[in-house]
Amino acid sequence: MSGMTNTLPTQGRGHSGAGADGRSASSRAAEAAVRLTGLTKRYDQVVAVAGLDLTIAPGEVVALLGPNGAGKSTTIDMLLGLTRPDSGSVAVYGMDPVAAIRSGRVGALLQSGGLLPDLTVGEIVTLSASLAARAGHSSPPSPHRRGPRPVSQVLELAGVSDLTKRRIAQLSGGQQQRVRFAMALIVDPDLIVLDEPTTGLDVEARRAFWASMRTETEQGRTVLFATHYLDEADAYADRIVLMRAGSVVADGTAAQIKSVVSGRTIRATLPGADPVALSALPGVDSVELRGDTALITSRDSDATLRVLLTTTAARDIEVTAHNLEDAFLALTVGDQS
Amino acid sequence: MNVTYLRMEIIRLLRNRRVLIFSILMPAILLGVIGGLYKQDSLNGANVAAYIMVSMGLFGSMSGAIGSGGTIALERGIGWNRQLRLTPLVPGQYLLTKVILSMIMALPPLLVTYAVGAISLGVRLPAQTWISIGVASWLGALPFAALGLVIGYVAKPDSVQQVSALLYMLLALFGGIWVPAEQMPNLMRHIAEWTPAYWVGQVARSPLFHQSMNMHAIAILAAWTAGFGLLAMRRFRADTARA
Repeated sequence: MSGMTNTLPTQGRGHSGAGADGRSASSRAAEAAVRLTGLTKRYDQVVAVAGLDLTIAPGEVVALLGPNGAGKSTTIDMLLGLTRPDSGSVAVYGMDPVAAIRSGRVGALLQSGGLLPDLTVGEIVTLSASLAARAGHSSPPSPHRRGPRPVSQVLELAGVSDLTKRRIAQLSGGQQQRVRFAMALIVDPDLIVLDEPTTGLDVEARRAFWASMRTETEQGRTVLFATHYLDEADAYADRIVLMRAGSVVADGTAAQIKSVVSGRTIRATLPGADPVALSALPGVDSVELRGDTALITSRDSDATLRVLLTTTAARDIEVTAHNLEDAFLALTVGDQS
Repeated sequence: MNVTYLRMEIIRLLRNRRVLIFSILMPAILLGVIGGLYKQDSLNGANVAAYIMVSMGLFGSMSGAIGSGGTIALERGIGWNRQLRLTPLVPGQYLLTKVILSMIMALPPLLVTYAVGAISLGVRLPAQTWISIGVASWLGALPFAALGLVIGYVAKPDSVQQVSALLYMLLALFGGIWVPAEQMPNLMRHIAEWTPAYWVGQVARSPLFHQSMNMHAIAILAAWTAGFGLLAMRRFRADTARA
């Protein structure tokens, strides 16, 4: 674990710096949408979140990626003020999370958020709109307040306008999830927080969900979503924060995360191989010998192969590309001891 | 006050009529059966059927108010309270909505028992007495509305209905609502005085005896309301800290 966690956060910081430089001066001056500092939460003897630091700039679309039990949901609960951290601090637009929600700047979709079964879709979203309406009266008044959006517009956006008259109790899990999404959007939030938003959705519904999310993010909203689907993090996030055992193990763009275990692996049969000579080949990062098989990790497999084939007796060559899955496994499985 | 939320709660009440029907049916049936036995009798210048009518009305309003608060436990069970915490709704507003809803729930049982009393038992009272007993009984539901909130935050969703029912039946039994405290053995009467139900009965029935307002009883009821209210706030805080 030590090698992994020592090197990767550096990369994360590098990314944040680059992100800030790439943005306009006005957004750099704006306060962070989310600032989590030294966040820690224990449940009995289990440490769910261990000293997590995370800053999200306005306009970023961030995926919180990690296996079950990595501490994603606990982090989100603390970010939303649903759970009190044992130590550390949470600031959402510089405010206490509860104040940020009351000011109407945050919309959230949680797995555990229940809906009233005896109301219709239209009624429950109208109810949410009425609760959002009072956000405008909050103090201090936020310049970002636009007030609740029209119910019909949000129902359309969440893809439930044809279910308006249907009771919640009669909806499928996926349909209920879309109703929760409508309820998250009704306040017209600056920050949208989604905990595993596509769980229970079929492929088509997932695609439709992300399409409507795209529309939302194009309007400059900040999004934080937790997922264990790598493809979702890869496809929809500007930035991926990889969590394991309650801490951030990697933080960067999908490309940066992939480059952590970058390049390709060349597998060749090469009896009596000299690891030192192989390491000296162009592009080679590491060499591992398993009997007669050499496993060469290269950031430029073409250059490596060109020399490997002409200067050694290597045969049965296989080349495999690394994908996010490998990065994910390498970073999250790590040392199991 | 969020009127839309209250409207949605009333819609839910009308769609999910179990609590409402039970709180109306039980006292109306009890009144029809028991009141019919004492139709002609009088006690200290008051008609016994009228006395039982006021008592059964109280039983209904009590059970309605307690049962309504208990639904908070069901909402906690399905995660609705968690969902609400993602909205700008202030917790005090939620509790206020629930109390108003409990007070609305306390009204139909009163109206129905009075209708049964007037129509089938021939209870005749001056208009002013009808109004006094009605208003006193309705406002007397306030401590039970507060008690309902406590139950809503203490009880488990799967047992809240049984807990509420047991509680209001015990209150009715030991508080001199089903059986007049005056007819109870000495020990039972002392126990009765320790329940809010007894004092609501004292206040609501006093117009039948042309008595003036019992300020002592009203003060005790206010104390019960404040006590249950504070307890509900504490339970609410503990619940939100944990969730």
